[in-house]
Amino acid sequence: MVLEAISLSGPAKFFNWGFISISIPNLIMIGLIVVLFVLALVIPFPTHDSSEHTPSSERK
Amino acid sequence: MRKERNVDLQKWTGPKRPYDLVKELVIALVVVTVLVGGLAAIFSSPDEPAVTLQVWANKAPGDFITTTVGELAGTTISASYGPPYNNASEGLKLGPLKLQKMAGITIPVYPAEDFVVGPLAFSKDVAVLAAVSQWKATPSDQQGKWANDYASAIEKAGDPAKVSASQDFGPVPTMAAGLLTLAQSNVLDGLLTTTVTPYPSDFTKPMLFLADSGYFDELGAAQHLHGDQWGMMNETGSYPGQSWLWLFSLWYQVEPFKSSPNADAEIFLWIMILTAAFVFMPLVPFVNRLPRLIPIHRLIWRKYYRDNNL
Repeated sequence: MVLEAISLSGPAKFFNWGFISISIPNLIMIGLIVVLFVLALVIPFPTHDSSEHTPSSERK
Repeated sequence: MRKERNVDLQKWTGPKRPYDLVKELVIALVVVTVLVGGLAAIFSSPDEPAVTLQVWANKAPGDFITTTVGELAGTTISASYGPPYNNASEGLKLGPLKLQKMAGITIPVYPAEDFVVGPLAFSKDVAVLAAVSQWKATPSDQQGKWANDYASAIEKAGDPAKVSASQDFGPVPTMAAGLLTLAQSNVLDGLLTTTVTPYPSDFTKPMLFLADSGYFDELGAAQHLHGDQWGMMNETGSYPGQSWLWLFSLWYQVEPFKSSPNADAEIFLWIMILTAAFVFMPLVPFVNRLPRLIPIHRLIWRKYYRDNNL
């Protein structure tokens, strides 16, 4: 059996606010999802250059 | 076909750009493979040891006895569940629709017989076998009285070991102790998984029996896995769980669903209504105008809008 480098077997900590109770690991994942979404919005596509809107027929 | 739909058939005369789908697929596959392999090497994955009837009987023998007596008295969750296991109740309802009753008893489970009386026939203890014979020869009213009296005595004493032996509980204490011995020696796990087929592949009965226990209930609560703890979203240990189930889990935390005995069916219907609202969003007034108020699409396609002065 290979032991993991970082053990996550211990009990998780929870963020509680009113009736909302969310584990810190879940909160981190949701944060990462939001960050990735924002990055996907603001980082330009690699192909967003001036040639991309050239009609394909002209490119040939 | 309406005239405006003809736009679908017209040849596109606007700008075009090449797009390599295979290249994107390969890049995505490589990135995800490296991420999965790397994260698995660093963090591993949840690997909680299985909770068996033997583990339960050894770690919480008092709770095992209490649950066994509850099965004989017919007061546990599975004993009073109704379809698809038995006819002890009508089960989930949605207005006038008796959903579980309509589906019928498709997986027959009668806890007193299946979890306790049946397996005890495999006991090697003659006192236990005699107790089972006495139980079987007794009318159900008296059986219920013995089991309920013993359950009340356990609740009063706080532990089966502290119950006074002077009271008459018939064969119930001997039967419960006999089942504890079978479970502690790992016989009961095998008996309950091979009653349907010779192969130990159907875990319905041991899982239902275990789910009736206070021991398993406490294990779930400690890991925040109960329905009223947003458990649907959580994983064992400190691993991230199914956070995408937040919308399902949310309704179990608020009224009127929180205290409803039919919460599962009601929340299912509510989610279907929300899903329909999502599907028909383009037809919902105001909501279908939101992109004009929150123009995220203009941010994504900002170059197109900028180049074309839109």
